[in-house]
Amino acid sequence: MSHEPTVKIVNITKRYSDIVALKGLSLDVRRGEIFGFLGPNASGKSTTLKTILGLVKPDFGYVNVLGINVEDNPVEVKRRVGYVPESPRIYEFLTGLEFLDLTGDIYGMNPAEKKKRIEEYLEALELEGREGDMISSYSQGMKQKIVIISALMHRPELLLLDEPISSLDPRSARIIKDLLRELASDGVTTIICTHVLEIAQALCDRIAIMYEGGLLALGTMEELRERAKMPESDLEDIFLQLTGTGDIRPVIEALLK
Amino acid sequence: MNWKNVLLLISADVKSYRLVSGERFRRFRDNRFVTYALYVGACVFGVAIGWVVGNFYSGMGDPQLRELLLQVTINFFLSLPTLALLYGLVITQIGQIQRIGVKASIQPLYWFPITWKEHTLASILANILGLPLAITIFISSGIAVASLFVGVVPLAILTIFALLVSVLLASATTEASRVLQVKLSGAMTKVAGRMVIWVKFLGSLVIFIVFYAVYFSLYRQAASLDLLELIAGGQRMLWFIPYMWHGIALSYFVSGLGFETAILSLASIGFLYAIFLAAVRLNSRFGLYEAPAIRLSLGEYTPRTGVLEKLGFSPLEVAVMRKDFKALTRRSELMSVFMFPIMLAIMPFITVFRGSTDFNSFLFVWLALMPGAFMVMNLGNFMVGLEGASVWYIYSSPITARSLVKAKYSFTVLFSLAVTLVCSIIGSLLAAPSMGIAAIVLTEALFLIFSLGMVSLSFGIRGADFSEFPRPRMIRPKWAIVNMIVCTLLTLAIVSPVVLYLLKLFIKTVQAPLYAMVPISGVIASVVAYAFYRIVLKNAEEFLIRAEG
Repeated sequence: MSHEPTVKIVNITKRYSDIVALKGLSLDVRRGEIFGFLGPNASGKSTTLKTILGLVKPDFGYVNVLGINVEDNPVEVKRRVGYVPESPRIYEFLTGLEFLDLTGDIYGMNPAEKKKRIEEYLEALELEGREGDMISSYSQGMKQKIVIISALMHRPELLLLDEPISSLDPRSARIIKDLLRELASDGVTTIICTHVLEIAQALCDRIAIMYEGGLLALGTMEELRERAKMPESDLEDIFLQLTGTGDIRPVIEALLK
Repeated sequence: MNWKNVLLLISADVKSYRLVSGERFRRFRDNRFVTYALYVGACVFGVAIGWVVGNFYSGMGDPQLRELLLQVTINFFLSLPTLALLYGLVITQIGQIQRIGVKASIQPLYWFPITWKEHTLASILANILGLPLAITIFISSGIAVASLFVGVVPLAILTIFALLVSVLLASATTEASRVLQVKLSGAMTKVAGRMVIWVKFLGSLVIFIVFYAVYFSLYRQAASLDLLELIAGGQRMLWFIPYMWHGIALSYFVSGLGFETAILSLASIGFLYAIFLAAVRLNSRFGLYEAPAIRLSLGEYTPRTGVLEKLGFSPLEVAVMRKDFKALTRRSELMSVFMFPIMLAIMPFITVFRGSTDFNSFLFVWLALMPGAFMVMNLGNFMVGLEGASVWYIYSSPITARSLVKAKYSFTVLFSLAVTLVCSIIGSLLAAPSMGIAAIVLTEALFLIFSLGMVSLSFGIRGADFSEFPRPRMIRPKWAIVNMIVCTLLTLAIVSPVVLYLLKLFIKTVQAPLYAMVPISGVIASVVAYAFYRIVLKNAEEFLIRAEG
């Protein structure tokens, strides 16, 4: 694995009136790494992903992606990135196939390659036979699969995935996880936001735990265990310990009263 | 029936106006004064109008005039139930359409411990809150006060009762028809398969034409007083329509037929209850709606390369244009973009049926200019906002401002040119204009389309509204109005040299040679197009970096 940073975040701060979404966040994500963002709701995970893609402009600091300053050339960054938003809304009036065709054209894929990739992904994620249906009639999981395919099909160098597996069936989720590992070994970097700690633990090379717009902890599982002084614990316990939300017993007792 | 549940459901249902009016939710607080001010205002206004009318009646010296006014007042009272039913139906239908997206999102109703009767009653009552109730309060308070002066208090009380029945009947009918509409539309979608888009389009067009023709024939036939007399006198003949029963009861009351009045009043309440039960039944049967699958393609996938690529568009631009074409032909809320130019094209023909004499000279100019100009004005305005909640896809795509403008502008212009072409051919066949007139008008049409396309797109980007609930908005009203005003003014500026030339035909002193006037018109159009190109490009650049908004 190369140690050249694919994503370099330098001291970014983002404020929405009186709410500070990001507080001086700095980190590097290396090439070929699967990097996880964890954190409670509204801790700044999705804002960080959007900032990396250039969808949110930081008030201070800057982000470099693949050596490009995002603010200077967002289009070039987008061309080389695949993005799955948290609650994707897609063109419901298109069929699944038409949406993927549109995506292929937007990312400049040649027709033969586009056709091959679309067919491969549709088969792999068991969408064959439904690709000609309007997206409005798809289930949430099917829509999620279509968005994931659209993020992967143009072979991006960086994947930004916000809760990508939450609506998928177990088989498809497994395929995506294995695929991400394979892509990582080919040098594709993945940044993933998730609340599913098992996925983060199993999939991510390094994990950043965010809290109130800042970085609470960053490292491999081993490094996080050391930081939390919980050598045998899993990520859930470490997460609760580090975010100060570990003492949940009184809450449960209060709810049971 | 648990009335507490009904009240709770109403209070939840009426809050959907927050989405309709686009309120901000952060630190949102209901303003109770505003909530009731509408009704209090309607009541005060009604009382004032009633007082003015009553005093006017009392102050009349001429007994013949007094008698005439009394007759008009009675006719007005008699026609009110029918008129209230009509406005009730229209307003509650519009309310349902506006809130249908919100209603679809209130799925918890389906797993709350409430009965279908409670759910349906709450929906019916919630639907009359707002404008229908305010109008009813206004009319009721007005006729109550006026009746004190005119001396028709019992009739006024019965009229107010009939008004309430009308509004409730309208809302109950809307509730029942809403469920049926959704179910029928789903069934039609399933049956029509790939043809569903065109079936929906033609269906909407037929409804528009019928509505327009009915409106025109009514407008043509009856002045307002005649209309009142027509309804007041004619409703007894429609005794077989239960919706007329409470109105007929009023006319029996005026004729002094107490028994018939009582029977028909009770029958109309019975009919209202029957409609309510029907709505409950329909809700319980079809209330939980799921969109049917619409299969549009079955064959093997072959990536397309078309003419546009050969014309110099990049694959990205062609992809966006192709997607927009599908949006325009598949999204029902975008059909209005087609409908308006089509209605504009149809309007002169309805005028012909009314016997206008200057039809031929006017038809070609109208058909060649108006539908295309309106199409380009509307389309440019909606082109960016139609991305809706999927706009994240554009934001995250590697698309430059220039490509975005090129794709959206080219699509707007090409589509509008196609409309102009079709309408001009129809106009030529029907009106047979001279070659000279045809050439001038078509040249002006081109000038308008190319320049107004840029103007409306610049406002379309600036004022784009991507909210989809309760319905896709696409453009903020303020910017739609600005676009309309600016486009109208610029249209006048662009065509003014040619209008000047036409004036020469009537006023000989005007010096406006055609060979100079058309190029001047073209220069004005080019200047407008270029100036707005700079603006649209700047707007597009800002649009692509304001994703966080």
